[in-house]
Amino acid sequence: MSFGLALFLTLISPVVGGFIYGLERIVRARMQARLGPPLLQPFYDFLKLMEKRPVIVHSFHAFMGIMYLIGTWFALFVLLSGGDLLVAIFFHLLSLAFLVVGGFSVRSPYSVIGAMRELLHMVAYEPLYVLAAAGLYLTTGTFEVSKILSASTPPVVYLPLVFLAVLLSLPTLLKKSPFDLAEAHQEIIGGPEIEYSGRFYEAIYTAKWIEYVYTFFFVFLFAGSHYLLGAALVVAAFFLVNLIDNVTARVNFRQMVAFHWYVLIPVAIVNLLLLALWRS
Amino acid sequence: MELKQFRKKSPWLLHYNTGSCNGCDIEILACLAPKYDLERFGILNRGNPKQSDVLIVTGPVTKRAKARLLRLYYEMPEPKVVVAVGACACTGGVFRHMYNVENGVDSVIPVDVYVPGCAARPEAIIDGVVKALEILEKKKKAFEKGKVCASVPAPEKGVNRKSFLKKCLEGLYAGRRD
Repeated sequence: MSFGLALFLTLISPVVGGFIYGLERIVRARMQARLGPPLLQPFYDFLKLMEKRPVIVHSFHAFMGIMYLIGTWFALFVLLSGGDLLVAIFFHLLSLAFLVVGGFSVRSPYSVIGAMRELLHMVAYEPLYVLAAAGLYLTTGTFEVSKILSASTPPVVYLPLVFLAVLLSLPTLLKKSPFDLAEAHQEIIGGPEIEYSGRFYEAIYTAKWIEYVYTFFFVFLFAGSHYLLGAALVVAAFFLVNLIDNVTARVNFRQMVAFHWYVLIPVAIVNLLLLALWRS
Repeated sequence: MELKQFRKKSPWLLHYNTGSCNGCDIEILACLAPKYDLERFGILNRGNPKQSDVLIVTGPVTKRAKARLLRLYYEMPEPKVVVAVGACACTGGVFRHMYNVENGVDSVIPVDVYVPGCAARPEAIIDGVVKALEILEKKKKAFEKGKVCASVPAPEKGVNRKSFLKKCLEGLYAGRRD
């Protein structure tokens, strides 16, 4: 993928993410037998927040919110420009670290609890994503996204269990029920994002849209050069995540970390071991 | 195409119970549930004063809830509207002139829309919120002091809301020991 095209795709990714979020709100409403908001609702929210008067706690906190947006955006750029998968994963981790530092820098207890839970989220899913990257390396022989996207056999054929594990950890990455501890809206009112308002909250809101694109692009990678299969996987993952979000209740942090470390990571490792044995 | 017109397309709610019997609160939650589905107007129940536009208050405002209500009101960034839901929030209702209540929300913070009823019906609440959105579109972005804290001085730009509230409450509770 050329540099210019990658830059263009990265720049329009918030628009794409906004549409995904709008579609998600409609799908979620229809699953609950409601009508739901219009498709453009996230953009209405965006424009309203732009006009609203911002109230900041202190400038460092607001700065960390903007850095979260920039970090996520850059992680997506690394993916879209065909860069190193591991670099993208670690930049995504760094952007979340900004959010956590911002969450810890204010005295609101909800913000601090949310930041701690955000760290637990990272502890839970980050090893799994590194393992998934290792799996993609085993099947395609490279960490370069552009080469993974030109693999003739879809990696999901060799990595069914890793794909399953990634699919089941998507709620953790997107902070959806049952693993929405970091922004549990009924108990800690959004966690680390609680103290942002006006256009600084808008930065967080947009970063979440970009995270949607980042996450679903990661799913897309599992299809290699078969772009239609990749699109099918993304749509299936989208509906699965929303279904799980609607039918489950929030678990506590021990159950979340235990599920990832005792179930998903061993499942992924078994797949990688079998693949390595079969290859040798 | 002005940014102002998007205010009424995505109003986010903050709901606060100042000692209500929960009747009106259940009706508000019924508005958000599938049958009435307020989300089709883009309305979300955020529960966070810093990101909300509409403050929905129920209950006659007990003496204890007064300081919290003021605090929530000043934590909300402008433009904002206040909707008083239920007979108690409008006038004090059956609790009017009792020793422990403030006789309605408008004795503490400025109210834009009154929704009567005991308990207010979901249809009436939706009408009230839609009315409030018309008012929200005309609101200004200047800091709103309200009646109770009108005597406390505040600068034109860059109000420190925390110290403003502190001075206001010190004035209100001067000489009290609770």
